[in-house]
Amino acid sequence: MADPARVRPEAGRPEPGEGSCSSTSSEPAAKPLSVMMDLSVLQRSAAAAAEEEEEEGSSSLHPSPAKKLKMEHDKKKEKRQKVDEDEIQKMQVLVSSFSEEQLNRYEMYRRSAFPKAAIKRLIQSITGSSVSQNVVIAMSGISKVFTGEIVEEALDVCEKWGDKPPLQPKHMREAVRRLRSREQSPNTKHKHILFH
Amino acid sequence: MAEEEDDPGFDEDLDDGGNGVDSGQGKRKRLFSKELRCMMYGFGDDQNPYTESVDILEDLVIEFITEMTHKAMSIGRQGRVQVEDIVFLIRKDPRKFARVKDLLTMNEELKKTLKAFDEANYGS
Repeated sequence: MADPARVRPEAGRPEPGEGSCSSTSSEPAAKPLSVMMDLSVLQRSAAAAAEEEEEEGSSSLHPSPAKKLKMEHDKKKEKRQKVDEDEIQKMQVLVSSFSEEQLNRYEMYRRSAFPKAAIKRLIQSITGSSVSQNVVIAMSGISKVFTGEIVEEALDVCEKWGDKPPLQPKHMREAVRRLRSREQSPNTKHKHILFH
Repeated sequence: MAEEEDDPGFDEDLDDGGNGVDSGQGKRKRLFSKELRCMMYGFGDDQNPYTESVDILEDLVIEFITEMTHKAMSIGRQGRVQVEDIVFLIRKDPRKFARVKDLLTMNEELKKTLKAFDEANYGS
């Protein structure tokens, strides 16, 4: 299972078996190319037999695009599972060397969450109709990431201004202002009018 | 003498143009105070964060959720909020996108495991 503590984009995996381009926008572009080059050598022998049955195969050397993508996904999934295991091990080593205060903080980080009931009530009061459980799960998850972004940015601001935690409202406001200018936070005050 | 401002709180309500949900953000009961405090500590703040900072954060989170909900209602199936809409809205932000995918995947796995467990128990 994926480790939720990871915030890096490589945590997003493409769905296996889908022939279309379903990879996340944050994946590096170089990887699929090199993987495909490796694959094409392997596939030449393996796919030659299956080739005859496929109608889409344009030539005998190249497997059909759908099959190529599927093998690429499978190989990527293997690689990613291995990376997962490595990362889980590294996390275990790291956590075992935490001081008590760090352990406390880490536990708070993992365990804190928004109450699902309150979020569901809030969303339902806006939509006026009921929402599914998945929506509530997604929304509370995103909100937690959102607060994390703000708190981290506010800590940056605090350090930059030479202050110390606990964070003060002025740090929070500056953090929000920065995030908005980077478009990482929603801003409905200014409407972008394209054509006057 | 001039009674233009009877009650600043009342005026705030009108200015916000609020219905029951967003009327006078200062007056609404605090929904997430306890959880937000734990979260702020977990993300790096002091063990006892300032109440004003927690308030600001809560307002920001509620604004974020409200905005997301409104946007989700306007795309896809109108008037309803569905997971696909949320995923679509979040696509530009790598962190949030990855987090949502992870959460939903974990939820599916969990449901499958629980279902298999239940069936095993029921069968024997």
